[in-house]
Amino acid sequence: MTESARADYLPAIYKNTLNNEMTVLGVEYDRAPWVSICFMAKRGAEADPPGKGGTADCTAEGLTLGTQARDQLRLAIDVEGRGARLDAQGHWDYSVVILEGLAEDFAELMALVAEVVQSPEFPEQDFAYLKGRRQAELVHLQDNPREIANRCYYRLFFGASPYGHPLTGDLQSISALNLEDLKSFYHRQFHPRASTLVVVGMVPEATVVQEAARCWSAWSGGASPTPPYQDPPQTLGQPGIYLLDRPALTQSEIRLGHLGLQRPHPDYFALRLANYILGGGGFSSRLMTRIRSDLGLTYGINSHFHFRRAPGPFVISTFTPAPHTAAVIRETKTVLAELKQGGITAQELEDAKNFYIGHFPLGLETTGGIAQQLLQIDLHSLDLDYLKNYGENIQAVQLEHSRAAAAQHLHPEELVILVLGPAAVCRPDLEALGPVTLVTES
Amino acid sequence: MEKLLNPEAWHPEIDIKAYRFDNGLTLLVLPEHGLPIVSFQVHYAVGSRNERPGITGISHLFEHMMFRGSKELGPEEFSQVIQAKGGEVNAFTTSDNTSYYENLPAAHLELAVRLEAERLVHLSLTQDNFATEREVVRSERKLRAVDSPLGLPLELLSAMAYTQHPYQWPILGWDYDLRHLTLEDCLDYHRTYYNPANMVVVVSGDVEPESAQEMVGRYFGTIPSPGPSPPIRAQESPQRGERRAIYKKVSQVEAFLAGFHVPSLKDPEIYAVLLLAAILGEGKASRGYQRFVRPGQAIDLEVHLPPPPFAYQDPGLLLIIGLAAPGQPLSALEAEVWQEIAQIQEQGVTLEELNRVKKIMRAQYVKVLANNFYRGLLSGMMHLKIGEADLINRIPDLYDQVTLTDIQSAARRYLTEDNRTVVIVKPVSEAENAALGPVD
Repeated sequence: MTESARADYLPAIYKNTLNNEMTVLGVEYDRAPWVSICFMAKRGAEADPPGKGGTADCTAEGLTLGTQARDQLRLAIDVEGRGARLDAQGHWDYSVVILEGLAEDFAELMALVAEVVQSPEFPEQDFAYLKGRRQAELVHLQDNPREIANRCYYRLFFGASPYGHPLTGDLQSISALNLEDLKSFYHRQFHPRASTLVVVGMVPEATVVQEAARCWSAWSGGASPTPPYQDPPQTLGQPGIYLLDRPALTQSEIRLGHLGLQRPHPDYFALRLANYILGGGGFSSRLMTRIRSDLGLTYGINSHFHFRRAPGPFVISTFTPAPHTAAVIRETKTVLAELKQGGITAQELEDAKNFYIGHFPLGLETTGGIAQQLLQIDLHSLDLDYLKNYGENIQAVQLEHSRAAAAQHLHPEELVILVLGPAAVCRPDLEALGPVTLVTES
Repeated sequence: MEKLLNPEAWHPEIDIKAYRFDNGLTLLVLPEHGLPIVSFQVHYAVGSRNERPGITGISHLFEHMMFRGSKELGPEEFSQVIQAKGGEVNAFTTSDNTSYYENLPAAHLELAVRLEAERLVHLSLTQDNFATEREVVRSERKLRAVDSPLGLPLELLSAMAYTQHPYQWPILGWDYDLRHLTLEDCLDYHRTYYNPANMVVVVSGDVEPESAQEMVGRYFGTIPSPGPSPPIRAQESPQRGERRAIYKKVSQVEAFLAGFHVPSLKDPEIYAVLLLAAILGEGKASRGYQRFVRPGQAIDLEVHLPPPPFAYQDPGLLLIIGLAAPGQPLSALEAEVWQEIAQIQEQGVTLEELNRVKKIMRAQYVKVLANNFYRGLLSGMMHLKIGEADLINRIPDLYDQVTLTDIQSAARRYLTEDNRTVVIVKPVSEAENAALGPVD
């Protein structure tokens, strides 16, 4: 590879707006004859109606249960018979329908995505099956400590605010769902003006634009979508230690966190770097060094700011043999407090910057990886030069800025702490840390 | 740079340059210059199949120990140094191999090569960091096996299906063995298996083959080797009749886990078995999804056999795991799954079914070729397991050559009751669970 070629490995993003105001974003890709076609409606689980958690996710899957032209089996055969894969999910802030397959089938795949999104059948029988499957999966999920801890934690944390219920709902909310809820969510939230089509693959821009216009221009969607949710929650869970008893477990699952920031925030890059140093950087992070490498108390610990359209949570996640539960919480809080108190060193910041800048091209190997970046760029109205400017934005963060971001946005004294584990083993030591509130899953 | 955007003009052949050094080391270079990145991989021909009772889990524990320090670096510093250059570092242990890799900017390839060679030669372990890491591994075992929904029943399944071959014990090892392993056991293991004649090095990505050859030769080429490690002599005898057990645990659902002995990676028949598994369980058009999952009889029906390069070096197990939906009897689900298989044995599958799964396999193969890491894994692990890295270029053809008759024959030969081991997960109360004693 020549030096000039090396400089332009960053993908050029093209943008096109269709007659119906739907946005098309794409990247031409030549590493393999593959294509990812992603339809995004810019509303997701935060728009689930009250008491109907899981609506967005079930609506997304509902689109794949058959169209007006083909039933679920025909659709599955037509997708999988091309070696392609169709997925549809509700996320926080958006819902997606993603079809990935061989680039030689691009025109057929594009037409299939359009058909799935524009003319779903929502058949009654398959909706009943879907509901039954979701309920059964939720029952099975109760055997998975990590999942239960996550679901319980966010409910504890966000309460009745839009990010407070599990993405896939719970047994009660799924029981309450009916087919009209899915149709209603679809007609309200799937609209060209609040939707984007992302295409990354071995397909020329001109072909993508032409097929997008052919397959999507006539789509008008339903009513106007609800306004995007972007405010901080009205109420939050009280800081403290909460314990969910699971007598049969040998390890405790632990979550510690507080409210974080929204994606559009001037401290975004500074805080990402600070979090890498805290717990986002694997073995380069302080939490991993202290809790795993020095003390051997866990196989894994990480921290994460969930940057969403509205402020998302900041969470530290780990697990430990039950007798060590209180010790892990104590050590974790200490590490968090040290970082907040201005402990970031110039070397740590330099290493974190180098990681993000050096690692960046590894995210550009696959169509799926690039498509995810484009979805985030569009969802958060980032600049189309975002990928090109990424390295500069990371490099521009100064030591004082990262220290200030850590000081301002980390709150070790306001942690909502959840322990899921055998109370008989871990409760006495936890009570030495402060009052412990016993909670149940619901 | 002009992009080539014509799928018909795309040639999937992976160019593999193979080199062999005097000390027995093999180097595979897979040049690809699209992005300024490279995957550097070191695969050792040692996994849980090399263990013996009493030291189960040592391959995996030792994988952890390779990060605990060398003459040049302190504990976990290896990862920190590579990450500080933009790289990602990890390792994994299977029943057949232990693999270490660094995916990083091509400009820092030499750093990864130098540090991998340095820790191979100058590993420096202490009793303290051995004791710490052993607890980390025990935590990992609790996470992946003890507290996971099906972890311990799966361990029981392998323990019953194999009576002679080392695939009978878990890669994570038995907890009792982990607690009694010593630092000296680890150092013995290192001396026996970690040497140039027992490994393959792979460089996949933005590198010129001659440059990679020179660089790897400089750091690895003079490391002495005692010669190839002792071979594994175990072989499992054919199973003569179904084996069945019950595993009681706190669980919300009933489940059955079944294992069938199937051919190894080097047996061409494995491609028919892989396609058969996909017909049963891959995708929403599969028999398993349409008959059992879609209408709500099963929460999931997983039909699992790892594809190349992860397929087993010796004859492995095809797993079928059925989770009964609440209110649905497990016995009926299990019986109907066996009926579905009997139907394939008697009537075969349709051409549409076979073509669907062939296209899925071809598409998945094409997709992963975009990824330097997976290209490297494919070539390195195929070399290690069957001595033939170039076979990766024939994988799509090997799938394509499978006929309807091959699928039916594979079902008749391998998915039989006599070749089957079944574990039933029986839910019990917390009180009954406690009365059964502790789990580890």
